[in-house]
Amino acid sequence: MKKIIITLLIIFAISSIFANKQIDNINNDAIKEYQNKDFTKALELFLQIENESIVNADLYYNIGNCYFRQNEIGRAILYFKRSLKFDQDHQQAQKNLDYALAMTKDKQLSETDDFITSIWNKTLKILNLNILAIIVLIIFMLIVIMINFIILRYRNREKTIPVFITTLLIFLFAIFVTFSVVQWKRLHNHNFAVLLTSNAAGFSGPSDEFTRVFTIHEGMIFEIDREENEWSLIKLSNGIGGWIRSEYFERI
Amino acid sequence: MKRIILISLFIVIFSQLFCKITVDSFVKNRKVGLSDFVEFTIEVSGEGLNRISAPKLPLIKNFDDLGSSSSHSSSIKIINGKRTSSVTKSFTYTLRPRNTGKFIIPPITLKIKNKKFVTEAISVEVVKGTTANLPKTGNRHSQSSNNSSDELEDNLFIVAEISKKNVFIGEPITVDYKVYTRYDISNLSFLEEPKFSGFWKEDIYKAEYKNFERAKYKGQIFNVMKLTSVALFPTSTGKLYIPAIKMNIDVRTQAQSFFDFGSTKRFSITSDKVQINVKEIPTQAPAGFNGAIGNFKIRSSISNTDLKVGDSFTYTLEISGSGNISQFEQPKLPEITHMRFLDPEITAQINENKISGKKTIKYLVIAQEEGTFSIPQVSFSFFDTKQGKFVTQKTKSYNINVAEGNNIYIQSSTAQSMVRMEGSDISFIIANDEILYFKLYFDSFLYWLVWFIVFLSIPVSFLIAKEQSKLSQNTDYLRQKQARKILKKYMNDATNAAQANKIEFYTFAQNGLSNFIADKLNIARGSTFETILDKLNERNINIELIEMVRIFFEECNKARFMPGGFSKDKIQNDFSKLKDVISEVSKKV
Repeated sequence: MKKIIITLLIIFAISSIFANKQIDNINNDAIKEYQNKDFTKALELFLQIENESIVNADLYYNIGNCYFRQNEIGRAILYFKRSLKFDQDHQQAQKNLDYALAMTKDKQLSETDDFITSIWNKTLKILNLNILAIIVLIIFMLIVIMINFIILRYRNREKTIPVFITTLLIFLFAIFVTFSVVQWKRLHNHNFAVLLTSNAAGFSGPSDEFTRVFTIHEGMIFEIDREENEWSLIKLSNGIGGWIRSEYFERI
Repeated sequence: MKRIILISLFIVIFSQLFCKITVDSFVKNRKVGLSDFVEFTIEVSGEGLNRISAPKLPLIKNFDDLGSSSSHSSSIKIINGKRTSSVTKSFTYTLRPRNTGKFIIPPITLKIKNKKFVTEAISVEVVKGTTANLPKTGNRHSQSSNNSSDELEDNLFIVAEISKKNVFIGEPITVDYKVYTRYDISNLSFLEEPKFSGFWKEDIYKAEYKNFERAKYKGQIFNVMKLTSVALFPTSTGKLYIPAIKMNIDVRTQAQSFFDFGSTKRFSITSDKVQINVKEIPTQAPAGFNGAIGNFKIRSSISNTDLKVGDSFTYTLEISGSGNISQFEQPKLPEITHMRFLDPEITAQINENKISGKKTIKYLVIAQEEGTFSIPQVSFSFFDTKQGKFVTQKTKSYNINVAEGNNIYIQSSTAQSMVRMEGSDISFIIANDEILYFKLYFDSFLYWLVWFIVFLSIPVSFLIAKEQSKLSQNTDYLRQKQARKILKKYMNDATNAAQANKIEFYTFAQNGLSNFIADKLNIARGSTFETILDKLNERNINIELIEMVRIFFEECNKARFMPGGFSKDKIQNDFSKLKDVISEVSKKV
């Protein structure tokens, strides 16, 4: 029995390593095709990697570039946004996103932050979820060490100093847990979407028979409020809301 | 009773039937002059007409609607005890004829209380001048002269006085609009301001209040007022028109008797269009010509001719004269090396008539190299409109001596400039050899396992703490624990003494061992070694060990108390023996 399990494990490990190698090869091929300016082929290969359910900011960035080269601005914006979702500090993705947004027909409001929110956003950019995971774990360890110390060493003694340090650590812990929750929510927020068709009309209700409220063009980024049948209630960055067909956009 | 009600009902209905509304329209004069106005009135009378507004006139051909006024009168009649109140409202429109001839004011449709009323069409004849009784002219002298006439156009008119009728393109013309009158004028207002097409216009004067002067025009004395005055610079050639001006002028009539205070009458007066001829200037212009037309003079001056490297001086060009002074560019300087001319400061002083003045062009010049240099002549060409040909004038040339100076001047050609962006594109792809798996630690099992293990240490240490507290309450356990500590202390001292080959070794060794065993056996410290041995015997401990302890104690006593019992050679041997005894005791007791 044991032998069978071990052999299975070994086979699994080898096959997974082999698969990784294969993906790396596809990636290299794709990069070569891109360098040779065969963007269609490069895109095909990159998408093949994405289908392996691999999440990687650089991969999304590369796919966005391929779409941009093929003049599919909407999809390019979608993938740059995805890249930034997984790596908020991805400078190139941010630059290319700005460039692509400048080519869309609709002017998109970029939020101008006040001082405090800009500091908050900068902090969040540096503290990605994995860094936060490590920080939270370290602080947790320190707290546990302090508690153990109090239990073992300070049982019959004056405890003011260790208790003070522990309280401080718990406070820090709470702060970083809050950061983590915010980042977690941002990463798992699928309420934003990008319009992929060249234009779409927004109606006051979930059907074409309602009053036409606005027209948006490819590359528009908006928030989805709710979905009903084949229609979605969306909210634009300038506050205008309306229903558009769900097939016209893709969630980031 | 019934009858009364019936009758009264009948009366009410009857009265309602007789509640009639009448609409009438008329004009004050069926024959008017072109300078007069037609007063067209619509009169509505009837009951309950308090709330009707002025009907809007449709566009009437050949007339301008200048606005309306309304008046209102009411009367109350009581006939046979029946009270009727009737209201008459009249709306008067002022229409200004545009042309002479016979015209028709069309029927006007009104809607009052959901009923339609149509007025009759009225024909009006418009003749030249005026049909009104002209007031007496203010000039008594002219009245007696033969030339005087009572026609309106001879006594009140506007003239555009033009300085020149044959001009070259760009040559300025001044146009004065003047009103000539012999009447007593109470008010004037512009009806239409002239629009000058084909000219560049500069305003010189605009009348803001009534200001008449006596002047002669064609041999007759008039009161004259300048309305507006402009300077025009033709921008195209051929036949151009100085546009007409239209004014509303109120003329005060003279009092006829003591009780008549006189009244005013409004006329609209239009001046005549004036044609001027604009000629093209010859095409063979000299090289230095840059659009100056008129009559000018150029002069140059310099602030300093002897200076050092790095010093600066001013070089001034002054152009004065009349013509399109504000419209041509400054003359170009010839190429001048060894000196740097900064961008000039240009000031223009233009006289009130807008066509003459002075233009000053001031250059700040920095001497860059030492030596003697010259600023050459500057030539300035203009088209002289009087002579009808181009004239070129030249300024003086100057020699400048530049001596060696302390100031170092960096040549302008070496000035740096920022790198300019020539194109933009998206950034290139990221060519990583490996695709890294983005794995969230929060999603991984291992990460939470670490958390669990870390957390688990708390109950573990809690258990340990509990165990410790249990033991600390047991005094025997404490003593045992202390025994090792005390022994350790004695052993340290003994080791030091043994290494120094001192006799104190035996004291430390004996005390340490006896206390250690006493603690182990849980008897009082400092017991004699006979008691210790007895206790050891009681515990049924190995006889060999007891013998070993006994022998060691005797050795110690020998070394400490017997004269000559201590020898340096034995001390190392006894130290190793002590170690054996202690290890045996800690194992077996």
